[in-house]
Amino acid sequence: MSDESSSGLARVPRALRFCAVGVGLGVASMALLPVLLLLAALCLLGVGLFLLPVGLRVLARLADVARRETDRFTGRPTPEVPRAAGQRLAESLGDPVTWRDLRWLPTSMVAGTTLGVLGLGVAVTPLVALVATGFWWVFPEDEPMRMLAGQPVDSWGSAGLLGGTTLVLAVVLAVVVPVAAASLLGWINRVLLHPGERERLAARVDTLRATRSGAVSAHDAELRRIERDLHDGTQARLVSIAMHLGLAERRLGDDPQAVGELVAKARAGAEDAMVELREVLRQMYPPILSDRGLPGALASVASDCAVPTELSVGELGEVPDPVEAAVYFVVVEALTNAAKHSGASLVTVAVSRQGRSLRAEIRDDGAGGVVEGAGTGIVGMRRRVEALDGRLRIDSPLGGPTTVLVDCPCEW
Amino acid sequence: MRVVIAEDNVLLAEGLSLVLTSSGHEVVSRVTTGDGFVRAVAEHRPDVTVVDVRLPPSFRDEGVRAALRARRDRPDLPVLVLSQYVEGTYARELVADGARGVGYLLKDRVARIGEFLDALGRVAAGGTALDPEVVKQLLARRAGPLVTLTPREREVLGLMAQGYANGEIAERLVVTDRAVHKHVGNIFAKLDLPPGDSGHRRVLAVLAYLEG
Repeated sequence: MSDESSSGLARVPRALRFCAVGVGLGVASMALLPVLLLLAALCLLGVGLFLLPVGLRVLARLADVARRETDRFTGRPTPEVPRAAGQRLAESLGDPVTWRDLRWLPTSMVAGTTLGVLGLGVAVTPLVALVATGFWWVFPEDEPMRMLAGQPVDSWGSAGLLGGTTLVLAVVLAVVVPVAAASLLGWINRVLLHPGERERLAARVDTLRATRSGAVSAHDAELRRIERDLHDGTQARLVSIAMHLGLAERRLGDDPQAVGELVAKARAGAEDAMVELREVLRQMYPPILSDRGLPGALASVASDCAVPTELSVGELGEVPDPVEAAVYFVVVEALTNAAKHSGASLVTVAVSRQGRSLRAEIRDDGAGGVVEGAGTGIVGMRRRVEALDGRLRIDSPLGGPTTVLVDCPCEW
Repeated sequence: MRVVIAEDNVLLAEGLSLVLTSSGHEVVSRVTTGDGFVRAVAEHRPDVTVVDVRLPPSFRDEGVRAALRARRDRPDLPVLVLSQYVEGTYARELVADGARGVGYLLKDRVARIGEFLDALGRVAAGGTALDPEVVKQLLARRAGPLVTLTPREREVLGLMAQGYANGEIAERLVVTDRAVHKHVGNIFAKLDLPPGDSGHRRVLAVLAYLEG
């Protein structure tokens, strides 16, 4: 049950700590359980309806401490399943996490206290043995102290022999029992407190459903925007060019000057169309990204940024195109924000491969205080990253610095 | 002039050929790949070349790479690179070797035949032709002492960076040569650049400054 990396004696202090936590939580559970039962009963009178949620919140905090400590002891963090957002009674009771907490409560009361006390108790037996051995002479001669299945201790010799043996046994027990008790308690807590595979999958499906619908609607909005740009811009320009050329054709014989003007207008229209089209294409997929890949594209952005930018790109390995594009857009957006709003004098961009994920960190030494959703394009960044099952974190305290961190899995 | 064209899109290659031949130039070879370009240059020894950035097989920046490769063998081979979009990185790479006769323009510019042929002639003669968009990006990047320039001086600086000589700048701004000369002097003084450079060296100095 324990972390494989630590072994033997090193586990004892952690086990003792966990036993102590178990006792503490057990006693707290002992106090909380009757209170919760009372509050539940009071629901019949109405008062409990208001007080029970408070009780459940206390329970939630208790169970969360148990989760944290269990993870810490076992050294195996478990993916968290978030609690239902609301604080109302119906919401709490509809949340499977609450019911898991409730199942844990009586067990903590019994197992936590028992195993905890056992572990801690056995741990002090060497001390007891030591003290007892030293004080054998306090006992009256006809009623001597007895050790190890009733052997009498009536001299320093027998005290040394029996006491020493007892001490060795006690030390062995003090090493083995607390670790065993803590491990058992840890296992019980894990089983009761941590989400089962089904629940974890359900939570994952919820996340995926949300991000997928975000991705789909973002994609849809993007297509509409492109359609509008092409329809209102490029297509209209082409119509106008064709019209000017048609007019020019009709006048070819009789009015060379008018033809010249019409053709010049047609050419100017074509130039405008090219500018617009280039912008549409650039937003669809940055050409430099397909030409040079992520490192080259980032180098280009960094050197074009108005704020001096230091770029470091590690060995990235295979990166899927959508991940490259997402990371590229986040870096562009973050650099644009840094240049426009932060007043920064230096930006550092670090891109690296972290196991399965591509990580990018953009940090500026500006004024900070970046607020999500305040027209900073952060919403768009987040949607883009989350659509790929990635994570975006922005840390921007007032006074700076601002750090944007993206983690995007490269394998699905 | 004898020209080699590297362009894989048939429509554009036809258009370019038409523009060039109708103004008295000779298209000695039309190729569609980077390797083909390097070979054609070695074989035909053209006066000037026109290269598209994206070429098969990778459709990435094959054209830029081929141009740089060809210029390694023949450092002053005049190359005018055309692109559907402006990318400062390519302009930097093309100028970086310090050799003469290089251009980087948006394909849109071909539509203004006169200006396009001027740019081609400038490149063939060992000069520079940088797209105004590239220069605009460069100017936007480098704040600092640029704010001390008057709007007219900024204009002149932009045209210098594009590769125009004083006479051409005067023509475009409809001012006298003397006036341009004065502006150039002021700009070099304000930006603390060594005066007296001219032609390609002047462009390099200005670009190096804008690069920061």
